[in-house]
Amino acid sequence: MLVVTDLYAGYGMSEVLMGTSLTVKKGTVVALIGPNGAGKTTTMRTISGSIKPTRGEIILDGAPVQGLEPSYIARLGLAHAPEGRKVFGPLSVEDNLLLGAFTRLPRFFGFHAKAADDLEKVYNLFPRLKERYRQASGTLSGGEQQMLAIGRALMARPKVVLLDEPSMGLAPVIVDEVFDIIRRLKESGITLLLVEQSAKRALEVADYAYVMERGRIAVEGVPQELQKNERVIAAYLGN
Amino acid sequence: MDHAVIQLIVSGALMGLVYALVAYGFQLTYATSKSINFGQGELVMLSAFVSLTLTNTGLPYYLMIPGGLLFGVIAGLFVERAGVRLALEQKSEGWILMTIILGLFGISAAENIWGRDDRPFPTPIPTEPIQFFGVSITPLEISVAVGVVLIMVVIELFKRKTLLGKAFEAVSADRDAAELMGISATRTIMLSYGLSGLVAALAGILVSPITTVGPTMASALVLKAFSVAVVAGLESGFGVVIVGLFLGSLESLTSFYVGSGWREAPGLVLLILALAIRPTGIFGKAVIRKV
Repeated sequence: MLVVTDLYAGYGMSEVLMGTSLTVKKGTVVALIGPNGAGKTTTMRTISGSIKPTRGEIILDGAPVQGLEPSYIARLGLAHAPEGRKVFGPLSVEDNLLLGAFTRLPRFFGFHAKAADDLEKVYNLFPRLKERYRQASGTLSGGEQQMLAIGRALMARPKVVLLDEPSMGLAPVIVDEVFDIIRRLKESGITLLLVEQSAKRALEVADYAYVMERGRIAVEGVPQELQKNERVIAAYLGN
Repeated sequence: MDHAVIQLIVSGALMGLVYALVAYGFQLTYATSKSINFGQGELVMLSAFVSLTLTNTGLPYYLMIPGGLLFGVIAGLFVERAGVRLALEQKSEGWILMTIILGLFGISAAENIWGRDDRPFPTPIPTEPIQFFGVSITPLEISVAVGVVLIMVVIELFKRKTLLGKAFEAVSADRDAAELMGISATRTIMLSYGLSGLVAALAGILVSPITTVGPTMASALVLKAFSVAVVAGLESGFGVVIVGLFLGSLESLTSFYVGSGWREAPGLVLLILALAIRPTGIFGKAVIRKV
């Protein structure tokens, strides 16, 4: 569904990605782990189009998308829940969700009715968002904002979801909750690329994982293998 | 308060609404792109001239309203395409100079096409004052107030009730995240410049029958509008109305009690005070965030 081959990208003169390759098959959860500054978020941002790659190829559902505008890539079926949540603070929870489905809703009127089913699904997954649907999203707690960011990504009915650092800055109890949701989404057949600091949790939920170091994939494999890999244990799963 | 003071406040406040409307035009483009059209005053003036010309063509009189507005939208889009887009793409501040230059072109064009003289703008709306509790207001002045409030309500409803309007707000809140939702920031910025042009054109059409139409008719107006926008903050549509009403009244009182030569002073003093004391504006809010 998503195939990244030999990707090079960076900010201005500094290259961050130096030949990253990875594959996310349909209906699988793939984890991308590694230390700070390895290029995980840059990989995500390059896939969704915020950063233009200098070299390499990104294939989404059979079509090359590298170098396209982010809004265009989103229309092709990619939803990116970015690092730091990035909810639209002044807008209500429900407006945030509706905008998640922007590409397939009418622009002026009747959009609410057309999105009703999807709203219902997201509210079932995150009852707390339903309770607060009229609240300005900037006033939600960090955990609620994370749930909103995930819900907003799902509203697009995407082919592939990119989820960047969902546990960042959250209390452990809330992180458990977020990973429960990811597990439920996995059961429902989502195609997900997950970037996560907490390698342990990411490996617990993933079908396949890549370990990134200095802009390249250093190790890859199914989680059961990686959990036994001495290098991975030493670097990320220690204690 | 005696009637003379109330009279001064009311007629000043009406002019203040026009400042508010032009300031609102600044806010629309600032929201989406953090840029404004420094040639907004020339856009007001050109739209007024276009509308005036339309009234002389033998077409029904009120056709000059949609005609002038359409011109405003097209001119706004032109400013965005010719003066702003490239600069924003290169993350430069070049739009400042570009929009000033486009404005100067606008003045030259107007002088060449219509001449330098101020012309009256004919209107069928009566200018005989009506008395309200001892304050006299002309129906023409009322039409200005109604026009300003109406367009602002319509645009605010658009922003809150339609999905495209919400997308507009989303781009203002977080441009990158909006792009990830499939919302094109470029198109949203175009939309904001189109709306801003519409608002400027309406200001020109509303104000011309009271003032006159001439190449420099809006240079003072736009300075005051800028002052209103800065004092109110570049985010609050409600704020510009309040500050606009306040500044308009203050000007009218100043010009009566201090001398008509001091008419432009309050706006500039307010602008300096705002920049020195509270650069985000009275109604500018710090972003609500909780992590």
